[in-house]
Amino acid sequence: MLSRRFPKEFVERYSQFIPDFDAFLNAMQRPLRRTFRVNTHKATREQVLELMADLHPEPLPWFELGFSLSDNGNSPGEGTRPRSDATNASRMCPQREDARYSPHFPSLGKRIEHFVGLIYVQEAASMAPPLVLRPQPGERVLDIAAAPGSKTTEMSAMMQNTGLIVSNDPSPTRVRGLIGNVDRAGCLNVVVCRMDGASLGRAIAGTCDRVLVDAPCSSEGTIRKSAQALDHWSVPAIERFPSIQKRLILAGYHALKPGGVMVYSTCTVAPEENESVVMYLLTRHPEAEVCEAELPGLVMRPGLREWGRELFSEAVGRCRRILPQDNDTEPFFIAKIRKGDSSPELSPFRREGEQSEGEEEAGRKTRRG
Amino acid sequence: MNRRVREFCERFGIPAEVFERLATLEEQETVFVGTPEAMSFDAVRPMRRGIRLARVYPYSVKPTTFGMQVLGAQASRNRIDLSDEQAKLLINGGSLNVDTGVANGFVLLRWRGFVVGVGFYKRPVLKSQIPRFRAVE
Repeated sequence: MLSRRFPKEFVERYSQFIPDFDAFLNAMQRPLRRTFRVNTHKATREQVLELMADLHPEPLPWFELGFSLSDNGNSPGEGTRPRSDATNASRMCPQREDARYSPHFPSLGKRIEHFVGLIYVQEAASMAPPLVLRPQPGERVLDIAAAPGSKTTEMSAMMQNTGLIVSNDPSPTRVRGLIGNVDRAGCLNVVVCRMDGASLGRAIAGTCDRVLVDAPCSSEGTIRKSAQALDHWSVPAIERFPSIQKRLILAGYHALKPGGVMVYSTCTVAPEENESVVMYLLTRHPEAEVCEAELPGLVMRPGLREWGRELFSEAVGRCRRILPQDNDTEPFFIAKIRKGDSSPELSPFRREGEQSEGEEEAGRKTRRG
Repeated sequence: MNRRVREFCERFGIPAEVFERLATLEEQETVFVGTPEAMSFDAVRPMRRGIRLARVYPYSVKPTTFGMQVLGAQASRNRIDLSDEQAKLLINGGSLNVDTGVANGFVLLRWRGFVVGVGFYKRPVLKSQIPRFRAVE
C-alpha cells in the first residue's frame, strides 16, 4: 500500500539496505517541513526569532541557527491539509503536490526578512555538511559545486566573513542564482567562479584548508519536495552521475592542503553515488582518511560496507547517512575525509579522473566476483 | 578606495574602520568590496569577487542595495525608518511622500533597524532605488 507510489525497482533496490524501510517510505511521502537558517552576517538569532514570531519557528536539535516551522507554518486554527487530499490533488494536477504550491506554504521567500538577507531558506539536512566540515575564520575554502549557494553562505557565516571561499558552479544559469544569494546574504569573503570543477581543482591544487564537494546527484532526496522527482527516477538516471562525482571528489581532494579536510555530500541514497565514490577516492589515494562525522542531536547511520557486487573498506563505514524517518529531513549522505600528509602532488600533466593501468587494476580488486 | 565612494560613506556616517579589514576593487564602472583574500584572489579569473558596493557613473556614484545592507548597518546619518507597509511599498519599487529632516540625495532605508536598501530623497518624495528582484508581500 505504502509503496504503490514508488517504482517497483526503487523498492527492490532500497529495501535491501535501508533500515526501517516502511518508515523510510512513509517519510518520503510526507511533504518537507519548511526550514530556514539565520544569517548571522546580518542579524542575531534573537532578532530573527522576534521578527518571525508569527510563524512559531522551532529550533533544529542539531543546529542553533536552523529552524523549522511548526504545523507547516500555519497560523493557529488553520489546519494542515490531510495528506490523502494532497495525494488525490496531485493525481489530477501533479505539480500541486509540490510543497511550494501548497496553499498553506508560508511564503518565506516573500518576506522582508528574506529580502534583507536575515534568513536563508534551506532544507534542514542541507545545513549539515558545512557543520561537519567546520570551516574556521581566516581559512581558504573551496565549494566546488556551489549553486544555489546555501552551503557557501552558511560557511561564510561560520567564517565570520573572513578568509576566502572559492564558490564554483559550471552552469551559467545556476551561477547567476549563486551570485544573487551571495549578494543577499552579504558574503564579503566569497569569490564566485564558473568553471569545470576538475579544472578548478587543478588550478588551486594544494591550497585549500577545507573543501566541500556537494556533488550534483540524482537528487532522490528531493522526492519530498516534489513528487515529480519520482516520475524521473530510474536506475539509468542514477548511473549518469558517478563519473562526474568521481571527478569532483578527486578534484576536491587535490585542492586540499596536506592535512586539510573535505566533506563529500549528496542528497541521494544511491550507493553508486555515495559509498562507491568515496571508495574510488580511497583506492586512488590510500593515504586519505575517512573521519567520524557526528553532529549532536542529528541521527546519522553508518555508511554501507557492500552494495551489489562491490565491497567497501571499513573506512567507508565511517561515512554517514541521514535518513528521512530519523530527523524528518531529506535523505543525505556525508563523508568527512582528511588528506594524508604523504599525499602525492597532482601532476599538472595528468588530468583528474584519468587512471593508470595499475590504478584500474586496484579498483577492480575491491569488487567481488 | 574610489574618492566618491568614500564621499557617500561619509554622507551616511559609515565609520572608516568598517573598511580597515576590507578591500575594494573598481572594475567596469563597479566598485566591489570584500575581504583582502577575496579581492586579491587570482589563481583563476573569477566571475565575481566580494559584493557590489557601488555603480560609478560619470558624475555620480550610486550605492547598491546589497552593499548597503551589509555596510550600512553601521551608518549614523541620512537614514529613514520605514513601517512594515512603507518598506513593502519601496521594496516593490514604489515611492512615498515623507517629510523628514534628512538632506536631499541618497538615503538609507531602514526597516526595524535593518537596512533594506537605498532610496533617493527630494523633499517630500522618497523614491525607491531598490531593483525589483522579487515581490515582497
